[in-house]
Amino acid sequence: MRRLFALLMLLLTIAASATTVKPLTIEELTIAASVVVEGQAAESWSSWNAQHSLIYTFTRIRVTKTLKGQPSEAVVLKQVGGSASGYTQRVAGVNPMKAGDVSVLFLRPSGANDGTMVIVGLMQGNFRVELEAASGSTVVNNGVGDVHQPTVQGVTQYRGAKMTLRQLETRVQKAAANE
Amino acid sequence: MSRLRALAAFLLLAIAPAFAWLPELTGSGSPVADRWSMNSFAVTWDLNASTGNNVQGSRTVHDVIAASFATWQQAPNTELNVDEGEPSDVSSESASPANINLICFVCTDVDFADNSTLAVTVITTADGPGKPDGHGGVSQFAGQILKADIIFNPHVPFTTDPGGVGEDLQTIATHEIGHFFGLDHSPVVRSIMFPFASDLTTLSYDDVAGIATLYPKGTPDFPSGSIAGRVTFPSGSAVFGAHVFAESTSGRQVLGPNIRKSPIGTLSRPNGSYVIQGLPPDKYTVTAEPLDGPVASSDLNGFPNAYRRSSVDTNFTTHSH
Repeated sequence: MRRLFALLMLLLTIAASATTVKPLTIEELTIAASVVVEGQAAESWSSWNAQHSLIYTFTRIRVTKTLKGQPSEAVVLKQVGGSASGYTQRVAGVNPMKAGDVSVLFLRPSGANDGTMVIVGLMQGNFRVELEAASGSTVVNNGVGDVHQPTVQGVTQYRGAKMTLRQLETRVQKAAANE
Repeated sequence: MSRLRALAAFLLLAIAPAFAWLPELTGSGSPVADRWSMNSFAVTWDLNASTGNNVQGSRTVHDVIAASFATWQQAPNTELNVDEGEPSDVSSESASPANINLICFVCTDVDFADNSTLAVTVITTADGPGKPDGHGGVSQFAGQILKADIIFNPHVPFTTDPGGVGEDLQTIATHEIGHFFGLDHSPVVRSIMFPFASDLTTLSYDDVAGIATLYPKGTPDFPSGSIAGRVTFPSGSAVFGAHVFAESTSGRQVLGPNIRKSPIGTLSRPNGSYVIQGLPPDKYTVTAEPLDGPVASSDLNGFPNAYRRSSVDTNFTTHSH
């Protein structure tokens, strides 16, 4: 993937912007989030809103480690999309969590002030935690790996890439300490 | 790291019954591509042209949105019977009626959380036939798109002028309209559906392959074919979710000057099989590579989930054939 990407980036010389999302660095994600936690999805459920216009998926996250903020032992994540009563709604880039998923989550309170939390930066604030078979390391990835944005000044590299859990923890804690 | 041992590819002259590119998917286990039915009810886009001060430029948002839809509707080999609806004054996504497809710049009830998300497209599909479609009828098939609303972040600066200050509205709109029609993000960098694309307002070969496969024209503008094969590990077991793409080796501009030449890609399925559809007549190199960046499976709308897998396989090296 990177080989093709690097080749094609050489062909792009115009100023760039993201379409759906603007890539954020881990430091930017940390600053934008009021809470950064490691946790496991305990249960999730989807339902229509009161107006029957939007389906939301709610996921109860059991917090196993706090990297920023003072969350309670469990937080409820609210994401647009899901399936309810024979219909499915989707927003590209939003992957509703399901029970068992383990993630590092960059969160802010929902604008609805309903006690739920939302992920910062669409998919960017959700780093899935996985055990990498080849190395035996615990790695994280938010799907925004090594995004290069060509600019008129040069090429900027956004290092939101796959990394070890420990590396992510260190960067988050350092960024939070510098706020 | 395992080496990819075999990548068998052969040219098919007929359309194979499989996904060409990366559509949104409905269902689990044997998912189907999301798409509109163009003969169930009239598909329209319904613009609330109100904007805040965050939208600047000499062109109207109406002109930009109309041009963005036209880009898709003029794609080769594609038939999209979509018309502009009546102007809308709906200013809340929560209050968007089921029978309109709202395009809104002032909706504040979508929780963007921050300004890094520029716009979202919410598509509603039926999980099966027989569900009320919001237009007085019922859905015809699983994955039928019944409604799609495009909501632009009201706090993000947009420009309607190419090169203006702010996010280029036509770039964002063209990308979101791809979602409107059922396309997911693409791992092909020059695709308009690449989630972190540049200021591009034209389609790529990859985009055309996707839209033309979902909405084929009765009488095609050009003949197209497919490349199919299977991606396996040295053990012979299947590689799931390999990004497989065909890249022209001829340098020919087959689809005309307004379509950007790019690889055309797809992902391998649980049994390792892949079918790259919508290929113009040309010579191609086929490459399989891990979906490990810049686009990863988490950028796609539940591709692993649709096949009841937790993740795609990435523990192999890039291999061309």
